[in-house]
This record gives sequence, structure tokens and C-alpha cells, in this order.
Amino acid sequence: MQDTEKQSVLTIKQLNHSVATANGSLDILKGINLEIKDGESVAIVGASGSGKSTLLGLMAGLDQHSDGSIVLYDKALEALDEEGRAILRGQHVGFIFQSFHLLPSLTALENVMLPNELKGERSAEQRARALLASVGLAQRLTHYPRQLSGGEQQRVAIARAFASAPKILFADEPTGNLDSKNGALVEDLLFELNEKEGTTLVVVTHDPELAKRCDRQIEIFDGELKES
Amino acid sequence: MFAWRLLLREFKTGDVLTLLIALVVSVATVTGIGLFVDRLQQSFEQQSANLLGADRSVRRDDPPPQEWLTLAQQNNLETAQTVSFSSMVFGGDGLQLAQLTAVSDNYPLRGEFLTDERQFGAGQATADAPQSGEVWLSSRLASLLNVELGSEVRVGEKTLDVTRYLVRDPGSATSAFSISPRAVMSAQDLEATGVIIPGARVRYAFLYAGEADQLEQFDEILQPRLAEGERIRTPVQRGERIGNTVNRAESFLLLAGTLAVVMSGVAMALASARYVKRHLTQFAVMKTLGATPKRLVSLMVFQVSLITLMGIVLGSVLGMLVQEFIASILGSLMTAGLPSPSLEKLWLGATTAIISVVAFCSPLLARLVQVPPLRVLQPNTDFKAGSASLFVFGLVGMYVLMVVYAGGWRLPSIMMVALAAVTALVFIVGWGLFKVSRSLSKQATTGWQVGLAALHRRLVSNLFQLLVFTLIIMLSLVLVGVQGNLIQDWQAQIPEDTPNHYLFNVQELQLAPITQYTKEQGITSSEWYPMVRGRVTHINGVAAETLFPERRNEPEIVERELNLTWADQIGEGSTLVEGDFSAEGVSIEREAAIEANVGLGDELEINVGGLSYTLPITSIREVNWQSMQPNFYLILPKTVLSDYQANYVSSVFLDERSAPGFYRFMADYPTVSMLNIGELLKQVQAIIAQLANALQIVLAFILGAGALVLVASVRATLDERLEEGALLRTLGATKRVVRQALLVEFGALGLFAGLVGAAGAELSLIGLQHFVFEMAVTLHPILWLVGPLSGWVIVTIIGVFASRAVLKVPPIRLLRSI
Repeated sequence: MQDTEKQSVLTIKQLNHSVATANGSLDILKGINLEIKDGESVAIVGASGSGKSTLLGLMAGLDQHSDGSIVLYDKALEALDEEGRAILRGQHVGFIFQSFHLLPSLTALENVMLPNELKGERSAEQRARALLASVGLAQRLTHYPRQLSGGEQQRVAIARAFASAPKILFADEPTGNLDSKNGALVEDLLFELNEKEGTTLVVVTHDPELAKRCDRQIEIFDGELKES
Repeated sequence: MFAWRLLLREFKTGDVLTLLIALVVSVATVTGIGLFVDRLQQSFEQQSANLLGADRSVRRDDPPPQEWLTLAQQNNLETAQTVSFSSMVFGGDGLQLAQLTAVSDNYPLRGEFLTDERQFGAGQATADAPQSGEVWLSSRLASLLNVELGSEVRVGEKTLDVTRYLVRDPGSATSAFSISPRAVMSAQDLEATGVIIPGARVRYAFLYAGEADQLEQFDEILQPRLAEGERIRTPVQRGERIGNTVNRAESFLLLAGTLAVVMSGVAMALASARYVKRHLTQFAVMKTLGATPKRLVSLMVFQVSLITLMGIVLGSVLGMLVQEFIASILGSLMTAGLPSPSLEKLWLGATTAIISVVAFCSPLLARLVQVPPLRVLQPNTDFKAGSASLFVFGLVGMYVLMVVYAGGWRLPSIMMVALAAVTALVFIVGWGLFKVSRSLSKQATTGWQVGLAALHRRLVSNLFQLLVFTLIIMLSLVLVGVQGNLIQDWQAQIPEDTPNHYLFNVQELQLAPITQYTKEQGITSSEWYPMVRGRVTHINGVAAETLFPERRNEPEIVERELNLTWADQIGEGSTLVEGDFSAEGVSIEREAAIEANVGLGDELEINVGGLSYTLPITSIREVNWQSMQPNFYLILPKTVLSDYQANYVSSVFLDERSAPGFYRFMADYPTVSMLNIGELLKQVQAIIAQLANALQIVLAFILGAGALVLVASVRATLDERLEEGALLRTLGATKRVVRQALLVEFGALGLFAGLVGAAGAELSLIGLQHFVFEMAVTLHPILWLVGPLSGWVIVTIIGVFASRAVLKVPPIRLLRSI
């Protein structure tokens, strides 16, 4: 009952996606239907090459899908151009990547400030400092990514993801490049902040432990969706 | 401001710095060479002005009207006047007809007198003019009169003190046919001599000098006030003899600068490509964080504009320093100091920066904005790179830059054709060769095979690398080739024993004794040419007055009385271009024919001593005026001229050893006139030597810049090669194999680039020699050796240095750091 009261933030209907290859068109996603509600945490699991990351990219509006409909926060992504999708991402979406993707020319603090600076917000630094403190990196503000370990880099990336107070967070294998100890630390931080900020979370992962901590697990098999 | 903060942060990491350095080097090169060329041009204009004694002169039969002087003063111009006349000079043993010039106190306005205290001395620059009561005699006049410094001579009714020997007065070259020995005195004493009487043949010169703008304004004011036959002489017209040399040097410097611009363009494109490569993912990340394409475009525009501005400012400052440095090296070699550079030439560097950024950086940087955000999840996501349009943009940009820089389309077009041909050659032949290298390397057991395989594996990036190598080598070879040609050509132009004295007014009876003397003394002399004066009155039956009303646009053969000659053979210093020299007709000099718009078969009516002769043009000659042989616009058949009393003319070469004796010998023939052009020749030779030096310095400078671009282009792809080397070592390849592989790959690239570069250079040189330098087309076999060899050596050396990192550092550290 509780679920139905919650608002739907992401709705996917009859999503098909294919890419052109040298040997003709290749279907990657077939007939996907999915609904994600506000505050939910959803894990997308599946074998390598099953289409998990592609789905994540499409849900976040990083790419345009071939057919079907994706509605993110009441906006049909297929109706938006790159400009419109970027604005939507800036307003509602946060990201965490497997390979961190911190900007090497910026310090930890500057990396976390970036999303709000891009929006032209003035309070960017204050919030960034607070977020870095909350991931335990208050002492590493002026360090550049190359001066940080993998675990530290991912913690900076988490702080950056939450910097713009996104309503939905997409994480692509957030612990995939980390050892188990650092992986667990990052995982804890992710769920901790998620709870505190009330963010909807969509995680693509191979890690069964991580998947288990989510409210729902969805498996993709050969481009088709199977909820477990 | 966010964009500003982001740029500052980028600076700390060095990628933006690389781009800025490329831009600064580009602006500095163009500015440096531009300013230096400007200084050289100014210097030559000044030296030419020195030959004239002023920036402008007007020669006339009457004193210049007071109105001219007033108007010139109103236009802030300096003025001076000279009065030239022939008069007897009395002194010592007797009397001698001399060509005197009375000069105003401030004469010359440009250049200096060359005088000496020894007879036949080489002379030193003398800033002032003769004072009232003084006269400066040429050594020859002094020796004819047998007077020394401190003696008195009389000109008309005025007695003057001989205070110096005149070696050269700045205006001496203007009166090439004032053949008597020369003397200079002060205009203040002119009236007291009493020789200027009505009917006396006197030439007045009105001289003025000042800033370029004011000169131009005044020229326009003066033009309508000139009488028939009068014209404003400019240094360029005076400097015709060296004009060709200077023009070619300027063309070379322009070419050098243009090629420097192209090299800088390549460097900037390389730097941009590296920047883009390293920032693609970053821009994708920013997109995922909500940066809209519009936002990113405005970010880019702001940053690029700021970098451009910084590049312009820093580059201009560096360019000023560079040209100052070149000038200081050259300064000690120059006879006259270089004028200071005109700062308005700085726009050239700024324009270069802007065009380069638009053509070479922007299209590449635009790719950053186009990067799909999906790249953060799938790094191999491909997107439309638009390489072809990048290329077109770059080529068009290069052409525009060259046109802006060279100020014409000919030089850029030749270079563009050559560049396009070389690009095509590189891609077609390179592609084929790399394919072959693939088939030679099916296994990877030796460094050779790994290296050859690498050539094929990185096909596209290697082709681009090859293109860059080839272009740089080609441009360098073009410069080396042209410079060699020019210097060779110049050295051949004025050989050491070029005649430096003309003998005029020699009577037939005097020929034998003079010839005998020169033969005995081993003095080089040209043949004797009979000379009769005549005037062209009609062309194809139409009177000159009808053809050129009010004497406007009159060609030189009609404008004045000409020296005519006859000859059995075409003579030294001339070559037949068209027709038959031995035919019964007129042989005309090519330039004169072009100016008068006449050709073979056209008829000229020539008035000689009151009788008119109508003759067809039967041959056209090209005359090398720099040969200093007696040369003539028109050569007539002997049958026409042989009945007239002719004076003979010849030229001789006198050195310091033979001159005094020859002068004394010639004192027995006082009616013979002698014109010493030795000083003028020396001046021309000095200018040529200076030019050769200037060219060498500029060449060295650009070759250095080329080498830097070469290093930069290797660096651009170094990461990839290092990574592969490290991987090979991780997989167990020995150091030897890795080193060999790198050497083979770089060596092959260098060798091939050198070869194609040599082909491109040869192609460009043919076009340049023919169309730009207007010299005979020659082939340059040496380039075919130097090109591949230098390409191989330089690129391999860079490769060796690069490979040291792969070989020394543990592979794991290398892999992590990439």
C-alpha cells in the first residue's frame, strides 16, 4: 500500500534499443517496462554485455533510445534534445562511475564544487566542504585525483554526486574498481548519504552484496528484463 | 566567474599551457620575422634614399619656386637644394673642365658624403656639407690639376680652399652621365663665382625628406605644379640596380615567414589535438553533471578567447625580443644601423593568432562540445569526428594565413598546391607502404617485425604523424634550397672584376693608345662601342606626341635622347630573346620593348643628327644591367650610323693598385670622360652580403622552430607508444626487442617523411623559382639525400630519447602513470 502512495519518478514503457554494427542492427534492449518510485533503491544486475550499462545510460538521458518511452520526473526523454536532457540532469540527476571520472585538473574540493558551479550557484564551496567532510576527506580538499587512492577518489565522486542534491542517483559499478575493504566503505557511504538525502538510487552492479542492500533487484538477461 | 576559475585550474596542470606555448611561439615567430623584415625594408629604403640624398628629388632647369619651399615647410618636410653645372676649375698647373655641385648647408637630407684626406683613399662618412669658402675635389680632379689639400683653386671669380677629397656624394649616382671629374662647394659661394649666367647649362635639384604620410601628401601637391618633363624621383626608382636583389630577398623572407606560419599552424593543431584527446571524457563528465551544450560552448569561447589574447600579448613581446636578437646578431655585419621596427606591424601577429585559433584549434575544440555524455559509461563510444572537415578547415586557414602574410596569392598558391600534392602522396604511398610492412611482419619475434607491425596497427595516427614530419621536413628543405639558389645567384651577379669605371667621349684616334695601356697593365676592359645620339620620334608611323599626349606615360625610349650604337655581335651581358640580331633593323632591349608596347616587326622612326630613319624591330635582347658592360636600349645597323661622327664608350675594372696609374695616364686625354661607379658597386655588394647574412639567420631560426614542432608531434603520440612498449615488456619482450621496435617504427617514419618531403620541396622550388623569384629553374639533387637522411636521423634520435623511458622504468610504474 505504501508503495502506491509514493510518486513514480521514472517510468519506462516498451523500451527497445538497438545499435548499428558492421553486420547490421544489433538489438541490445528488448521490450523493457519498468517503474521506479521516489526514494526507492534499485539494483540492476546481469552478465557482462547483457545491456545493464546501456539501460542506465538511457534512463539518465545520456543517450537516445531507439523506440519506446522513458519518463523521468514527468519529462519524456525522447521529446528532449541534448540541451533539454542536460538541463534535466543538472536539476535532478547525480552520477557515480566505476572509474570515478574525477577531473584530473581539479582538486577534490573543486571536483565536488563543479556541479553547482556549472549551475552558477554561489554556495558551491560551503556545501562541497561539508560533503567531503561527511565522506571523511576533510583533510584532502586540495589534493588532486592522482594524489588520492582509488577508494578516496570514489569517495570524492560520491560527494560530487550528492553535491547538487539530486533526486535520483545513478551508479555504474561503484565498487567495481575497488578492493573489498574500500568497496564496503564506499557502499556504506553511498547508502548512508542516500538515506540522509532521501535520494532515489539506481545501481548497476555485479556485486551480490551490494545488490542485496537495495530495495529491489532487477536482472537483465540478453536484453530483456527479469525482476527477482 | 566560473569559466575564469576553470581556466586557472587548467593552467596548473599544463595542458592549457601547451596550447598557449604553441600560440605564443606562433605569434612570436610571425611577429619576430615580420618586424625584422620591416626593419630590413626600411633600411633598404633608407639606403636607396642615401643614393638620392633625400626621400624625393625633382630636377629642373630653373631654381625651384619659393612656393615649393613654403609648401614643403607647411607639410613639415625638410628641404635642400643643389645646383649642378660644368665649369673650368683653375689651380696648380692649369685648368680642367669639372662637374661642380653647389649644395645648401643641410645637404644631404639622407645619407652622407664620403670624403678622405688622402688622394684615392677609401673615404669616411662625413656628416656636414662644405662650408662657405671650401671646395671638395674628387681625387681625379685634384690629380689632373695637380693640387693638394690646403691648395687654392678658382671657380669663375671665386677662390676656394681645397679641404677634402671627395670620394662620393650621395647624389652622385643621380647624374650617371655627368662624366667630368667632380667637385662640391657651398651654395653660398655660387653667386660670387659669377658662372651662373643666362643661357648657362645648369641643373637645379629640389630635394625633400620627411615622414611617409607627409611625403605622400606633398607629392600630390607638387605633382600638378611640375613643368613638362619634370618628375618626382623616389629612392625606389634610384635603387633600381639593387631593386631586383632586394625584392628577391624580401620574397625569401616572406616565404620564410609564411612557412613559419604554416609550421606554427601545425604545432597549434597538434597541441589542440592533444588537449582534446585528454579532455574528451572530462567534457562528457561535465555533460552528465548537467552542463548544457550551450553552457559548454560559452565556456569554450571564453577560455579560447582568453588564451588567444594571452598568446597575442606574450607572443608579441617575445617576438619583439626575437627580432631584436636577430638584429643584434646582424647589427655588427650591417654597414648602417637598422631603423627601429614599426609597431603597427604587430597586427600581423595578432591576426595570425586569431586565424590560427579559428582554423586549427576551434574545429578540434568543437569536438569537445560534441562529445556524447554516454562516453562516461562506454569510453569507446564513437562519435562523428568529421576529420575531412577538420582538414578542409585547416587547409583553408593555412591559405588565408599565407595570403595575409605574403600580401599576395602567388606564393601561397604555389605552396598550397605543393602541400596538397604532398598530403595526397603521404596518404596514398604511406597507406600502401604500411600495408606492405604488415605483410612483412606476420610474426612478432624480432624488434623489426614488431616495429613494422606497429606501423600498420596505428595506421591513421601514423599517417598523420607522417604528414606532420613530411610537411616540416619539406618546408625546411624548401627554405634551404631557395636560400642556396639566391646566394649562388647573387654571388654570380656581381663578380669581383665587374667593370667599375665607364669611359665616355673617346675619339676614334684615342682607342688604340688606351687599349694598349690597359692591355699592358692587365686592366680588364670591355669592348669599345661607338655611340651616336638619336631620338625615337614615331612608332609605326604615329608621332610620339600623338601617342602620348602631354607626354603622359611616355616610355623611356621616347622620353629622352638615347645613346645609339651599332655592333656586329650581341656583346657580353646581353642575350638574344627573339628575332635575328644580324638583320638590317633595330635590336631593342626587352624591358624597353615591353614598356613601349612594341615587338618584332614594329617600325621605329629615329632622328639622328637631323635625319630620320625608319627601321623595323628585328631582334629583342635581354640585357643584364648588373654586368656593368656598356649597354644600349637600341642597337642600329652599321649602315645607318657609320657616317656619323661617333664617340666611343667602354668600361674598365680598376683596383686600388691600378687606379692611380690609369688616372695619370688618362690625364693626357682630358677630353675623355670617366665615371667611377666603384663606390656604387661596393654599396650594392655590401647590401647583397647583408641580405645573405639576414637570410641565413632567419633560416636558422625557422629550422630551429621546425625541429621543435617535430619534437612536439612525436610527443603527441608518445603516450600510446610508451604504453605499448611497457605492455610488451610486461609480456616478456627483451629490452632489445622493444628498443628495436621503436627504432624501426620511428626510423621508417623519418626516412619516408624525408623522401616525400624532398619530393615536395623539389616541386615547390620549381614553382617558386619560376613564378616568385623569376630565376632559372634548377633541380636540387642534394635535397634528395639531405631530406631522407635528416628525417631518419632526427626522428630516430627523438625516438631513442622517447624509448629510454620505456627501457629504464619498471613496466608497472609506466602503465600506472599513463
